[in-house]
Amino acid sequence: MTPLSITSRTLAAALGGYALSALCAMALAVILPMPRNEAVITGILVAFLLCACAAIWAFSVRSAWRAWGGIALVSLVFGALYLIGSPP
Amino acid sequence: MNGSFRQSMAWLHTWVGLLLGWLLVAIFITGTSAYFREEITLWMEPETHDSTLTPNTLDMAVAVLNDKASDARSWDISLPSARHTVAELRWQPLQQRQQQGGGRNRGESVSMDADSGQVVEPRDTAGGNFLYRFHYQLHGIPREVGRWVVCLATMFMLIAIISGVITHKKIFKDFFTFRPGKGQRSWLDAHNATAVLALPFHFMITYSGLLLFMTMLMPWGIDAAYPENRRDFFSEVFSRGGEEAQRPGNPAEMVDIKPLIAQTEAHFGKPVTRIGVTNPNRDNAVISLRVDRDPAITARQRGGDPVQVYNGVNGELQETLLPSEDPVSPSWRIYNVFTSLHMARFADPLTRWLFFLFGIAGSAMAITGMLLWANKRTQQLKRDQVPGSSLKLVNGLNMATISGLMIAIAAYFIGNRLLPVTLENRGDQEIQVFFLVWLAALIHALLRPNRSGWQEQVALGTVLWLAVPVINVLTTDSHLFTAVAWQHPALASVDLVCLAFAGAGGYTFWRLIRKPAPAKHAPRKKPAKRTAPSTTAPAGENS
Amino acid sequence: MILLFAVCLAFSGMTLLALAMKRHQPQILDRKLPEPRARLARWSGWACLAVSLVCVLQVWPTGLALFMAIGLFAFAGLPLVFLLPYQQRLAWRLAMALPIASGALALVSA
Repeated sequence: MTPLSITSRTLAAALGGYALSALCAMALAVILPMPRNEAVITGILVAFLLCACAAIWAFSVRSAWRAWGGIALVSLVFGALYLIGSPP
Repeated sequence: MNGSFRQSMAWLHTWVGLLLGWLLVAIFITGTSAYFREEITLWMEPETHDSTLTPNTLDMAVAVLNDKASDARSWDISLPSARHTVAELRWQPLQQRQQQGGGRNRGESVSMDADSGQVVEPRDTAGGNFLYRFHYQLHGIPREVGRWVVCLATMFMLIAIISGVITHKKIFKDFFTFRPGKGQRSWLDAHNATAVLALPFHFMITYSGLLLFMTMLMPWGIDAAYPENRRDFFSEVFSRGGEEAQRPGNPAEMVDIKPLIAQTEAHFGKPVTRIGVTNPNRDNAVISLRVDRDPAITARQRGGDPVQVYNGVNGELQETLLPSEDPVSPSWRIYNVFTSLHMARFADPLTRWLFFLFGIAGSAMAITGMLLWANKRTQQLKRDQVPGSSLKLVNGLNMATISGLMIAIAAYFIGNRLLPVTLENRGDQEIQVFFLVWLAALIHALLRPNRSGWQEQVALGTVLWLAVPVINVLTTDSHLFTAVAWQHPALASVDLVCLAFAGAGGYTFWRLIRKPAPAKHAPRKKPAKRTAPSTTAPAGENS
Repeated sequence: MILLFAVCLAFSGMTLLALAMKRHQPQILDRKLPEPRARLARWSGWACLAVSLVCVLQVWPTGLALFMAIGLFAFAGLPLVFLLPYQQRLAWRLAMALPIASGALALVSA
């Protein structure tokens, strides 16, 4: 791995991973069909694991572009879920 | 794909581990001590030692409170426990409340000798709380920053755990494998064993560490579901039922608390440990008697301790409150179980020791990982090649975080005994001692050649850990040779653990000097693990 | 006390499981075991762990107990790992003696 690729992946893992897990926590908090406080804690439980998995993903795929792409894609899905679920 | 996947995971594991490994070692070691933080605090306040619960303790506590704060808004008496020898008396003064705008008011407090009824003023010390706080917010930097740094290290650890499991080729085949005396191979075996066999603990401690700071790390979900006010979430989840304070009534004679205690102890079948009085010496006085909750219950139920509430004037039982029996949803159960496990909140003494050993295994895992990294690079050096500056730096930092930290903790304990009791800001001075010694160890580690550096630091660590109980004999009346110490096993155990560390350190030192210097620079200390069954890895910790 | 018994039993269980593995048989007993014997060791190892689990379930509520049991089982293997290369005889003797001693202790104190 080149230094540039490592830097890019590290950023993807840290910033992308955090954004991804934050969006996951938000989406699950509003969309899960359970009492609000349960949805929130469920979202957080999943979010932390997802954050670690995102970092693993960022370093396991073939190119830094893929790392960013995968994380962005999942983030978008969670973002959309949040928009659907959030109260108008 | 599979091979390269494993390779990239190995790469990730190595570098993530190296980057925050030193911090993790420090967090693990200080965090392990936190399982005994109350015992350490007790040990560090020798003025409180000669105190045992007697049938008269409560009467004396009420007398002291009547003397100091007869017109307080409320009283709170904590009776001595196995981990705390003196009675703690707290009260909320009447006037202060008006000035306070929200926020919890801690009020005032004194410690009382439980058999003489005298007020005790222990020396100023942060006690075990310093090490405990260091393990989640470090020291000397803004608290928030420290917590974020520790959480970042925690996330790294979670990543290292996952990538480590992926990297490990034969996790079950190598389950029981340790091949000593084979250099790199042995370090890897030791690292694998301490990692795999304590894996449930490692995962729990990491994941729950993040969960404990979830509102700082991940408030976004709360904000999303509670757009109006984040506080609603907390009041919905963590509220314990408000105890509405009434305004004080007219002066009145209070009922004798002792018979009520007997009644409550008979009802719950265990001793009352905390007594609260609202509006003492008034005609609307309320007495609440708490017993410790069933330790096992904590993991599944939220809410406070079982408590009985009495009218403070006529002594009538008003209500009996039990921790909530509400079924808890699966997610909250997971949260509760993990966070209770992290803090060993439910632990009886045996379980507490188990968690202490788990913590030592964790420290040993981090330590062997760091030494593995250095050893591998040392072996790759050609004959007579001098280690480069980066390897020297890693070696130095390893030494400073492993043996240096152990030296600093021993120095912290010794400072507690040797600094003059009347010193200004004494508690801070003890912490200064800790950091100055640690800094000295770091400088020493960076300047000395690796092998002799290790020998010197391990030797010094051994001497210091041995010195702790010895200095305790010289400076206090509650050392291993007195009955006072054994009246409170918590106290004796601190001295005994110091001796165990000294023993492990001595053994490590003996292994270090016995072997003639091998071609490699890293010390050969795996055999220290031989002490594993009896003292497990203090050897690893001390080395 | 029942917890102590559970921990000791987990240690025996892990020792028996190690005994079922070809690599560790010479370490523990100085010889290889025939396959039926190894199978017996494996089954008795799992049986020890099962009994240990039952004990742990007495101590804590189910969710917590299951987690603690997994933690304890693995952790019981740790002393074994470092005993095997140095004191293999001791490992085997401890595996026999510890559950009996701690079991007796638990019975006496109960």
